[in-house]
Amino acid sequence: MRRIVFAVGGTLAGLAMLLSFKSHSSVGLAGIAAGAADSKPYSQASAGASGASGTTGGAGAKPGSVTTAGGGRLITGDVANTAYGPVQIQVTLTQNKITKVAVLEQPQSTENDIRIGDFAFPKLIQETLAAQNDKIDSVSGATYTSGGYIKSLQSVLDNGV
Amino acid sequence: MPVLAAIGLGALGVLLLWWSNTPAVSSFADVITNAGRILGLLAGYGVVVLVALMARLPPLERGIGTDRLARWHAMGGRYIISLITAHALLIIWGYALTAHTGVIQESGTLVLDYPDVMMATVAAFLLLGVGIVSARAARRRLRYETWYYLHFYTYLAIALAFSHQFATGADFVASPSARIGWSAFYLSVGSAVLWYRIVCPLRNLARHQFRVTGLNREAPGVVSVHIGGRYLDELRAEPGQFFRWRFLTRGLWWSANPYSLSAMPHPDVLRITVKENGDHSGAVSRLRPGTRVIAEGPYGSMAVSRTGRQVLLLAGGVGITPLRAMFAALPGDVTLIYRASDIGDVVFRDELETIAQARGARVHYLIGSRAQLGGDPLSARQLQALVPGLHRREAYLCGPAGMMEAAVTALRAAGVPRRRIHYESFEF
Repeated sequence: MRRIVFAVGGTLAGLAMLLSFKSHSSVGLAGIAAGAADSKPYSQASAGASGASGTTGGAGAKPGSVTTAGGGRLITGDVANTAYGPVQIQVTLTQNKITKVAVLEQPQSTENDIRIGDFAFPKLIQETLAAQNDKIDSVSGATYTSGGYIKSLQSVLDNGV
Repeated sequence: MPVLAAIGLGALGVLLLWWSNTPAVSSFADVITNAGRILGLLAGYGVVVLVALMARLPPLERGIGTDRLARWHAMGGRYIISLITAHALLIIWGYALTAHTGVIQESGTLVLDYPDVMMATVAAFLLLGVGIVSARAARRRLRYETWYYLHFYTYLAIALAFSHQFATGADFVASPSARIGWSAFYLSVGSAVLWYRIVCPLRNLARHQFRVTGLNREAPGVVSVHIGGRYLDELRAEPGQFFRWRFLTRGLWWSANPYSLSAMPHPDVLRITVKENGDHSGAVSRLRPGTRVIAEGPYGSMAVSRTGRQVLLLAGGVGITPLRAMFAALPGDVTLIYRASDIGDVVFRDELETIAQARGARVHYLIGSRAQLGGDPLSARQLQALVPGLHRREAYLCGPAGMMEAAVTALRAAGVPRRRIHYESFEF
């Protein structure tokens, strides 16, 4: 009986200690860094490239912007590296309004990463469309992914708008 | 306890693996998920440690003793099964919180959509099943053989659960070196099991050519089996040790049961004595001479190389078998106390008398129930009255668990220090 108490108590105490150390060991989004220096975002002039519908999909798209057929601008944000992997988004601006956000890259090394992205990105995109800026809340349970998203979004707004 | 320290260090290493791969724990869902991850890692480590304890590693068998290993295995087994259960529940809960779904729905998603989690789930239920049949209450109702064979499902379970660790475990997905280290750990314990539980016994069989040479009925339901072979002195078995015997005959070949040597080992013959008590020991009494035998061993840390001491041997029932061998072999001043609840259970009476006379040792029989004997015959006072200089003696005990526990307490009370009380239980 006493052994059981020790085993359960010891395990719980150990877990609590480890987890509380971990939650203090690094601040919220410290793990997030902007993309490497050599991939600085740039805004491309929309030199008649109206036919090209920009770069959608594909990992590690070059940050930049192109004009779409509908007259909107397609701006690709920086790659934001998070602890779980890189995040990169692409924003469609129509008359300086964010009308669409696409996720080009997301953490997907584990099934759980993918699922976290699957529920977090729609929320983040919804928030973005509503707020029209990068002052959006991160989604709980997806702090890192949210941080990466916001970082990539910031780079779009800094350079593209 | 260097073994326990090594096990603890390994667990620390596992925690370190988690620590180095986890950026930070930020939300409540994260806390739950990470608690689940830690417990999962520990369970994945612990389950292999449990197998290693049972791998018949010679240093463990000698240094710790089979009975203590088995007890550690049993205790550790309960702990690991709790870890696995908690791991599964916490991961479900944590993922459900993260995904904002219900736990039932999340359980379904986990099992069906996550790679290899279905196999791991089957493994968890297998281990849970093995744990349940090993629990004391269930164990008593099961035949030894049933229990023993159900245990083999743990190997299947470990194999089934292996792949989900790499496929879904965040610590392994990203780190090839963690995968290599983890695999090496599993493989080395796996090969130790193969080597010591399969290759070595077969090699022994080829070398020593064990065969049943004769049976001798000692008492109703108690039979001695003589096992002949060649170069048996190379085994360096000592009185007080046991082998795991696998008789290669119909109905017995699939199980290896531990029986002590009941006589001094000879270069060409060993003797064990078995009480009918279950299917296996029952079938042993019907063995035919000439039957081939695989012997695993010798095991047992009760062996005697100490000399020049006064010794007390305390046997309960069929627990006389290893002590009978020691009684003949031990040097010095030896007293044997033989406790049995019925005169019909007493075996080796003639042999014990012969040995006692030859070496000038004493044998005391304590036969009958407590009521018949007017109190506990193994109380500290009774033992002191029976055995002169009791507190100076080296004591060796063998018998049913309850009797041994009581006897150890009595010996302690009579002033025998703990380190001079040696016993091995055979309830594994």
